[in-house]
Amino acid sequence: MPLPVAGDGLWQEGEARAFRRLTLAWMGTMMFLFSTMLLLGYFMRLFQANAFRTMRPEWFYAVLTLHGLGMVATWFVGGMAATGYLLTRYSRPSIWISRLALAGTLVGAGLLAAATLFGLFGTGWYFLYPLPFYSSGVWPPWATGCFFGALALLFSVWTIWVLDLLRAIASRFPLRQALGWHVLSGRPSLGVPSFVLVATVSLIAGAAGLAAGMVLLGLWAVEWLRSGYSNDALLMKNLTFFFGHIITNITMYLGVGVVYELLPGYAGRPWKLSKALAWAWNTVLLLVVLAYAHHLYMDFAQPRVLQDTGQIVSYFLSVPAAVVSIFGGLALVYAAPMRWTLASWLFFLGLMGWAIGGVGAVIDSTVALNSRFHNTLWVPAHFHTYYLMGVVLMLLGFAHHLAVDLTGEPERPAMRHAILALLAIGGYGFLLAFYWAGAHSVPRRFAAYPRELSQGVAAARVAVVFIALIVIAVALYLWETARRCWRAFSA
Amino acid sequence: MTTARPMLGSVVALAMACLLAAACPASAQDSLGQPANTPPDETSFIFRRVPDITITPIEGSPVTLSALGRSSPLVITFIYTRCGGVCSPFLESLAAAARQTGGLGSAYRILVLSFDSRDTLADLRAAARAHGLAADQGWIFGAASSPDIARLARATGFWFAWHWSSGQYDHPSLLIAVDQGRIVRMLAGATIPPSRFREITDELRGKFVPSYPAQNRRVAFRCFRYTPGGGIQIGWGFLVLLAPGALAISSALWIFARSRGSAS
Amino acid sequence: MTPQVQAFWIFVAMACLVAGFFLWVARSTRQAHEVNQDAARRLRRNFFYSLTGLLVIVLALTLRHMPYPVPTERPERIIFVVGKQFAFGISSRPIADDADWEAATYSAPVQIPTGAMVEFRVSSFDVNHGFAVYSPSGELLGQVQAMPGYVNRLRMRFRRPGIYHVFCLEFCGMDHYRMRGLFFVVPRTNTQSHTRSLLAGTGE
Repeated sequence: MPLPVAGDGLWQEGEARAFRRLTLAWMGTMMFLFSTMLLLGYFMRLFQANAFRTMRPEWFYAVLTLHGLGMVATWFVGGMAATGYLLTRYSRPSIWISRLALAGTLVGAGLLAAATLFGLFGTGWYFLYPLPFYSSGVWPPWATGCFFGALALLFSVWTIWVLDLLRAIASRFPLRQALGWHVLSGRPSLGVPSFVLVATVSLIAGAAGLAAGMVLLGLWAVEWLRSGYSNDALLMKNLTFFFGHIITNITMYLGVGVVYELLPGYAGRPWKLSKALAWAWNTVLLLVVLAYAHHLYMDFAQPRVLQDTGQIVSYFLSVPAAVVSIFGGLALVYAAPMRWTLASWLFFLGLMGWAIGGVGAVIDSTVALNSRFHNTLWVPAHFHTYYLMGVVLMLLGFAHHLAVDLTGEPERPAMRHAILALLAIGGYGFLLAFYWAGAHSVPRRFAAYPRELSQGVAAARVAVVFIALIVIAVALYLWETARRCWRAFSA
Repeated sequence: MTTARPMLGSVVALAMACLLAAACPASAQDSLGQPANTPPDETSFIFRRVPDITITPIEGSPVTLSALGRSSPLVITFIYTRCGGVCSPFLESLAAAARQTGGLGSAYRILVLSFDSRDTLADLRAAARAHGLAADQGWIFGAASSPDIARLARATGFWFAWHWSSGQYDHPSLLIAVDQGRIVRMLAGATIPPSRFREITDELRGKFVPSYPAQNRRVAFRCFRYTPGGGIQIGWGFLVLLAPGALAISSALWIFARSRGSAS
Repeated sequence: MTPQVQAFWIFVAMACLVAGFFLWVARSTRQAHEVNQDAARRLRRNFFYSLTGLLVIVLALTLRHMPYPVPTERPERIIFVVGKQFAFGISSRPIADDADWEAATYSAPVQIPTGAMVEFRVSSFDVNHGFAVYSPSGELLGQVQAMPGYVNRLRMRFRRPGIYHVFCLEFCGMDHYRMRGLFFVVPRTNTQSHTRSLLAGTGE
């Protein structure tokens, strides 16, 4: 049954229709940005495979910056839009704030594209202090301004959006219920869905991540506007990864929340808020803000206690994920009267990608190994696993679920098989090339590889083949889903 | 009067040349090195080998620097006893810093060398007594020949210049930490703050400083301040790092507290 | 097999295990039936304990092998490294300014005797760089960040003589992928006199 359900006291028919159309607009934006960013990623792997020998490396780095930020932004807003939509079952997220966020996201994405593609602004997604000030003559000051302006706009509208979704949850559930504390103290779940707990944890952590982003921008602005003042490179790095890690991490969790809410419908069993589940997600809330420390293992200036904490937290953050969400998802599906559709398969495979990416992440978060893996292709390997084969699948599953739900058009099994097979083979083949190269010491963020690291070129050539499969899979998916979304939108 | 032999010769020669020997410095010693407004830069000398000069301490027989350094690392400093300026307060602050940081005599010793060829061992003994350091096993006051002083000065960037007008030497105050014949840290300044001195003694004790901020940068919010030995103090920047989490938690609490009434 | 490649195969094995488990669960839906909830809970509890136990064991084994310097060890050689867009200055003399860096970039590569404990004092004059040491066969051996305003110390020992390349492993701008440096590791027995003269050279 399509949400929001009109006439349940929460939503009027007209509002419900508007919210559906808005969610479809979000899904359209997500799919458009995703396919663009995917092609940019393809471009980068082709570049590393020496396909564009005459092209200047500045282009590679501008695209690297846009691809990284663009993908994170795409899936963050995709997860937020899906969460907002699913929350309409229980409360009333503001339609206007969501529209504001959509407009802000589109303008911000446009500014980012301008800064990178026209200004050749190329600092990587993380604009690590003080690189934007050292352009070596590649990007002009307006590109730096445009880039930071875009970030300021995105962070502002997203913060408002995150706080509004928290407000929507708060209007229905007190904090102890939204965080499942009542279950922890032995009381029944009182009808609090586990999805709400996941969303609350993700949103509070997300607010912290965005606040860190704002503080970071503030420090940048002060240095930019006041001469003779410089920032502490270590503090800036801490803030950058605090912000970056949390945003990517909670994007994952927003996707997991969608699976918590929708997979039970396909499995024909409930995913109840249990004591274990409440423990797990409260632990996540506590640990997720500390896990970023594993990005600074190779900064020997960072106090040792933070390095130890980084490894311990990163290790134990995997426990609630594995024991509660992944095991829970598997237990939900095991021998269930499962309705296998493209959406439910994408949810299921998304959980699998999350688990596999988690293994790669835990290996990388081991300090002793990190000195041999840090900033090699192992890093993009593991985060692409739980992005491309994790949260991306979950949110593509959501968009497909929505499209089928709103149009009522049944899906074609042949298309489903083709999409899933191409995605799985293309995705894992592409990732394996990353992991293999990382294990063979190939650095990340290299536009071209020196002779000593020619194994990087070989890996890129293998990856290029598999990305072609992903591109075909995504094209087929868009044919199946985007068309339905458009039909539902214009109906 | 027992000084090193080459020095004796120059003093005798000077006594013949000068009417007032006490007010007149040895001509070979009247200046050495390039006077500068800034003290020697540590990074230009660190890890260099110091020359193995011969030192005549106020107690005992002449000994080489390498032999002295074998039993413990050394912190070397230069003074002259007739100094009407910085030497005396410098020694006072060094003694105070050494008392506060501990380990003197066991982890390291301080070698006070006179760079003035007129200084006799009696002068040095008097100076040591005046500062109450004569009986302290951690302190070695001594003299060396002019060429040896010159070699050591060149290896450490130390310089001095005689000013006829004031009848005084112009010279920097310098601490040179030497372990196994190599310079491991240097510290300059008219007075020695105990915290800076601890950096030196900890380096000599082999305590590891994971990093230290490079000089001459104006940084507003430092995340952490490093004390030698791996100790870390929390700077203002650390609070900046905590701010996002605090903001998120407080805004979540505020949102939930605000809508409690409307929920029911 | 390098530690990285070992980790790669461990990863592949675990990924196959996870994927196999997922596929097994997906197949189980062909014959739907009720599941004993108590058995599922027991299984989850066992999974929790075994996973936590495994992580604690791996933590205990790996936390001892931190790449950070041990206070009780004293390095035999100190090498100064400064990163600047887009090269590494590597020298046995301190690099205090741009002129020193320039000299270090163009002078003959530093020579390190085999088996010597070397301390790299790594810093940067502009942006963040990553000082990553590659063996003559192209294996990443260790790394540390070169951060403006900080001096990070990385201690390493090299067993095999040869040319060791340094690549930049923190993105630093347009020519990041071209930024490099190198040093030689020479057999200790053959070059003791040579090394001694190098060391003496730092004293005068």
